[in-house]
Amino acid sequence: MTTSTADVVVIGAGILGAAAAHELAAAGHRVVVLERRAPNREGSGTTAGNLHIQAIHTRRPGQPIPADNRRFLPLQLAASQLWGDLEDRLDADLEVRRNGGFMVAETAEQTRELVEKNRMEAELGLRTEVLDGTAARSELPLLSERVVAATWCELDGYANPLLVAPAYLTAARQHGAVVRGFSPVTRIARTGRTWQVSTSDGTWSTPTVINAAGPWIGQVAELGGTRLNMTPVAIQMHVTTRVRPIMRHLVQHIGEGMSVKQVSAGHLLIGGGWPAERLDLSGRSAPSLASMRGNLLQAARILPFLADLQLLRMWAGPLAATPDEMPVIGEVPGAPGFFVAGGTYAFTLAPLWASALARLVAGGSPPLPIDDLGPARLCADAAVTS
Amino acid sequence: MSVDGDPRPAGAIERCDVAVVGGGPAGLSAALHLARLGAYVILLDEAEELGGQYFKRRQGSVLAKHGDFRPEGTSLISAVRASGVRCWTECSVWGVGEDERTLLVAGPEDEPRSVSARAVLVATGGYERSIPFSGWQLPGVVTPGYALHLATCDRIPVGQRAVVAGTGPFLLPVSCALLDVGVEVAAVVEVNRPYRPSLRVAAALAHPARLAEFASYRAVLARRKVPLLQGWQVVEANGSGALERVRIESVGGREAGREYDVDALAVAYGFRPATELVRLLGARCEVRQGDLFPRTDGRGRTTAEGVYVAGESAGIAGVHVARLRGEVTAASIAADLGLPGAAEPARATLRRLRRGEAFSAVTADLYPVPDSLISGLCDGTVICRCEGVTAGQIRAADAVGWNDRNSVKGATRAGMGPCQGRECAPAVAALCGASGSTEPFPARMPIKPVPIRVAMGESAEEVS
Repeated sequence: MTTSTADVVVIGAGILGAAAAHELAAAGHRVVVLERRAPNREGSGTTAGNLHIQAIHTRRPGQPIPADNRRFLPLQLAASQLWGDLEDRLDADLEVRRNGGFMVAETAEQTRELVEKNRMEAELGLRTEVLDGTAARSELPLLSERVVAATWCELDGYANPLLVAPAYLTAARQHGAVVRGFSPVTRIARTGRTWQVSTSDGTWSTPTVINAAGPWIGQVAELGGTRLNMTPVAIQMHVTTRVRPIMRHLVQHIGEGMSVKQVSAGHLLIGGGWPAERLDLSGRSAPSLASMRGNLLQAARILPFLADLQLLRMWAGPLAATPDEMPVIGEVPGAPGFFVAGGTYAFTLAPLWASALARLVAGGSPPLPIDDLGPARLCADAAVTS
Repeated sequence: MSVDGDPRPAGAIERCDVAVVGGGPAGLSAALHLARLGAYVILLDEAEELGGQYFKRRQGSVLAKHGDFRPEGTSLISAVRASGVRCWTECSVWGVGEDERTLLVAGPEDEPRSVSARAVLVATGGYERSIPFSGWQLPGVVTPGYALHLATCDRIPVGQRAVVAGTGPFLLPVSCALLDVGVEVAAVVEVNRPYRPSLRVAAALAHPARLAEFASYRAVLARRKVPLLQGWQVVEANGSGALERVRIESVGGREAGREYDVDALAVAYGFRPATELVRLLGARCEVRQGDLFPRTDGRGRTTAEGVYVAGESAGIAGVHVARLRGEVTAASIAADLGLPGAAEPARATLRRLRRGEAFSAVTADLYPVPDSLISGLCDGTVICRCEGVTAGQIRAADAVGWNDRNSVKGATRAGMGPCQGRECAPAVAALCGASGSTEPFPARMPIKPVPIRVAMGESAEEVS
């Protein structure tokens, strides 16, 4: 057992932990990343990898309340900019593709929602375009006749989630960060303004802890003496065998959880936040066949060519959701130096959250106001807003 | 929207007493015994005709010209068809329902089917164990099993001149079959030294019938002056566009390497069980020498209730044992289902099974797979052929120090192609064995790629 010191201890080597570690190490902090198993194996490595820039609108199947898409949009816009040069900053190919995306509607009601969404986006500074079904099909002939309208956003895209967090970690390490895999945190204690974070083979003394443990955020917070009301779920993804390049865009649905895209390796990725059979935090969550059928049927309804492709693989992974479906980022009340970052759409928002955490840790103010997204609202005694 | 209700059932569910997956020697033998006891049996196989690998049928003009191949297979298949077993050929089991029992099936017309059985017998056979080496992805490099099928079922020589290599007694009959269709066998290259006197070889003396079989193959090779090299391995295949040259080296490098100008190389290092379906059905497996073997009670019962395994998928032991296992497992199933007429297997059957399994243990001991075959690979060697991932890339992903086998897969894409790691998983595991957890790649659905319309439970005409 050894005791070492660090400027920052990051718990969790998913995309948020990795991105925060990189940002902080690049700013000169001595950073240690502690990961319970292998990095990027949970939510960050199993997610779809979508870069959601047009307003979030749909709920995951089974999601109780919608996200506040108006609140989300400025965050998405800020993240969109940061994704623009991320590959250069990390000096890595992340397979970032920004070919734009459609969000489709099948009914008159959904079309009205698209129009409202488009108006809100314009108001908040995002240019999107509403197309009728025919115009959408002339842009993307793969869309079925059932599509009556779609919004188009040229900033939508995707990146390869298997590459992003590892690239952040590699870059962080070049700035001196230490990454420890297979090192679950067993104890967090505080003396004055110093935190002691222990694993089975060592303790780190640090003024700053970042809890980026994804679905384990609640458990890690509890080790640190705080109860956070997190509601992690497991969702699933489906992938086809490789086919020749056929679709360059991200396709989403305004009324249902659905996302489809062709990644650079040629596979079509089909997701939409459909629930896995159950969340298994000690092993691997198993995909649900009902969700598989639901997701595939829906995707093939919008993009009929999918029905003729071969399903290669499916998998499930956790999503660190909150009761109000909004991100959580900030210092935990009553626990100075103990920060938490997580929640939905973390993949898209990761570069923004990394930058926000680096500024918060340095005592500065984040690139845009995020006070309302702090953990106070999730503390066990606080009333949960919806 | 709600996902409480499954949008559609995956085709109509067929109910039966026993679903037997795999129509090879073990599956055929088990299905026949169970049908004779009055069980309603559905036998599923991916191929157009039953028989599996060993009893693969000759077809059309080859059948007319050369006669039946392995006629005992033909009579076994006829007996099964006459017994009332429902034979679902061209049916691929791609998954298992949430109950861990219902089999999800892609039918011959790519129509979804499901089978719900009181007992599931997995007799899915084994895979030839391919071990990567430099140039193994060249056209002309095949497995011995493939070369054998070409020679025996189709009467097609795999090439003009071939090297047969790897390990295992199987290399001998394959070489003889190649000679029989006019292939010049330049050498048989066996990595072990099983044909030299040793204490381990002495254990095989207890099985004179098997030894006589091997002696006859060796006599053919000697008569045709085919060198049988022991303690040698293939290290490289070369050629522009297709195989032209094979380089072999002696294990330990005591002798100078040799090269053969050949247009075919049949190479594999024995077999390993196909366990994807057994694992999806919830049965436990254990890892031995990097491969997974289902745990059984010795009579086909796995650790999952109602799930049985027979044949090569229960452990590699050859056709005789496969048929005996089929018979013995059928007796277990009959007893567990309480079929009228269920009885203990004949004592002679159990005795022959024990002897057969003992011989397979001797064989496994004589033909091990040396670790150096993988650890000695140079960085440029392609390990995952589907995704083109090299040993160097896998070693680099392992060397970052924070990856385990599954995250090496994520970092390199090794094992993510159409075969889903069936070919390369043991090599990937061996290349990154030292770090992190050693859990094997999990068995996932679909077992093999399945048309999306089948996965979503629709026939072709239902999606407009």
